[in-house]
Amino acid sequence: MNFIWENLFRKVDHEHNVLEALRQTYIFQTLSRRELRFLQGMVHVRRFKSGEPVFRQGEIGVGMYIVLQGALEIHADHHIDDDVPTRKHLVTRLKSGDFLGELSLVENNSRRSATATALDDSVLIGFFKPDLLEILERQPHMGVKILLRLSEVLGRRLKETTVKITELKEEIRRMNEKT
Amino acid sequence: MSLTPSKASLKRANRWKLIGLLCVLAFIFAFIVLVENLLMSCILAFVVSYSLGPLVNYLERHGVSRALASALVFFAVGATLSLVGAWLFPYLGNSLYRLQGDMPRYISGVSQFISEVEGWLRSIAGPISDFDLTAKVESKLTSWTQRFFEHLPGTVKTFFTVMLLGPFLAFFMVKDGRKVMRSTAAIVPNYLFETALSLQHQINFQIGQFVRARILESLIVGLVTAAGLMLISFPYPILLGAIAAVTNLIPYLGPLLGAVPAFLIALVNGYSSLEIAMMAIVYIVAQLIDAGLLIPVLVAKIVDLHPVTVILVIIAGAQLMGIVGMIISIPVASTLKVTLTTVYRHLIDTRS
Repeated sequence: MNFIWENLFRKVDHEHNVLEALRQTYIFQTLSRRELRFLQGMVHVRRFKSGEPVFRQGEIGVGMYIVLQGALEIHADHHIDDDVPTRKHLVTRLKSGDFLGELSLVENNSRRSATATALDDSVLIGFFKPDLLEILERQPHMGVKILLRLSEVLGRRLKETTVKITELKEEIRRMNEKT
Repeated sequence: MSLTPSKASLKRANRWKLIGLLCVLAFIFAFIVLVENLLMSCILAFVVSYSLGPLVNYLERHGVSRALASALVFFAVGATLSLVGAWLFPYLGNSLYRLQGDMPRYISGVSQFISEVEGWLRSIAGPISDFDLTAKVESKLTSWTQRFFEHLPGTVKTFFTVMLLGPFLAFFMVKDGRKVMRSTAAIVPNYLFETALSLQHQINFQIGQFVRARILESLIVGLVTAAGLMLISFPYPILLGAIAAVTNLIPYLGPLLGAVPAFLIALVNGYSSLEIAMMAIVYIVAQLIDAGLLIPVLVAKIVDLHPVTVILVIIAGAQLMGIVGMIISIPVASTLKVTLTTVYRHLIDTRS
């Protein structure tokens, strides 16, 4: 009997966790409670073993992931020339509450720009392009809220990249001046 | 390449998950094919759900819950079809009853027509050995007609089973289809998940568009044919329009099949050349509208198949499943094409 009750409550806990994780994710923060419940019915909860790749660099991606439990490591392979061996760069580590891959929601035939691997046994929430399209078809006002926030995130990422490129250019200029 | 134990066990686990998924899919497929009337009911359910899905989505967009929207749409469409059926069935039944009564006359009329053709051929080409074409055609036609009316009760039973089960399945496909797809997607291994989801979306989108376009196309062809026949005061215009609409679903052969009953009626009743020409013009105009306007605007862009491929898959469909095979051959082929392209792209991605 306890076993049944434990499982029952674990399921409720799990659903509550998913709902809470969605509510705290920046892209979905403007959604109402009813819309979040609708979204909960659209997303996919995926479990990854430690060391298992979530996606690989160069693969076609169709959506984003939110880390519900565990941690991920993002690394990119840097290939300059055929004579030089490919270098692997650690881009970042993501923990519970972080999200990744959101560009694939809007880009057509988007290729993953880095590889994401589970560091521990991890649980991720997947939200993909077909889910977003279905939301736009069935609940357009909710889809617009998500798209606005998504555009904001992508805009912010673009700004960060521009700042980084400017800094690097400045650094290269300074190095050239020194030599 | 040596694998670390964790990677090897991961690969093994993924392989078992894939085998499990394929077993589930194979079981569902076998169940649908082997249970009597289930395949036809499922095809009808897909057609109904793809046709009514946009209406349910429309209501949902205006704040109605999915369950209530599904119930409202199915009830409204069911009630409308029942009313149309209540008006049309006695008429169709009466037409069929009259057709059954007129059949011997039609058969002898066709025989007379053939014997006239035979006589004309003999006059220009001499005696065609001892071959009695008229008697052979007459006996064949009589046996076909007898068999048709003998099998009619069984066909009607299958028809009503499919007509009840199809919409019933369609209701749950519209209401809970998303949940079922999500549960099925849950057993897909992680490394195939995004590919499978993208594939399912592409197939769903393509078949949905195709089904809606074909239904609209057939409806317009049926309406134009019925209206045209009514205009020239041809008998059974609604029945012939309905036949033209249904046979129009069969690629290439359908339009010709749809016109055969009207030509037989005209020939047997000894209509004048002008009346036959007017009737032929009605069918030709309906087909011109179909080929010149409906197919380019509604259908052509959806199915990205070469014309030769289309003919080959229609022949294969006819060989495997007869008329139904011909109707479903194009969407099945385009689904296979999308699947193979996606799997190929996935394999290339994984290898590189």
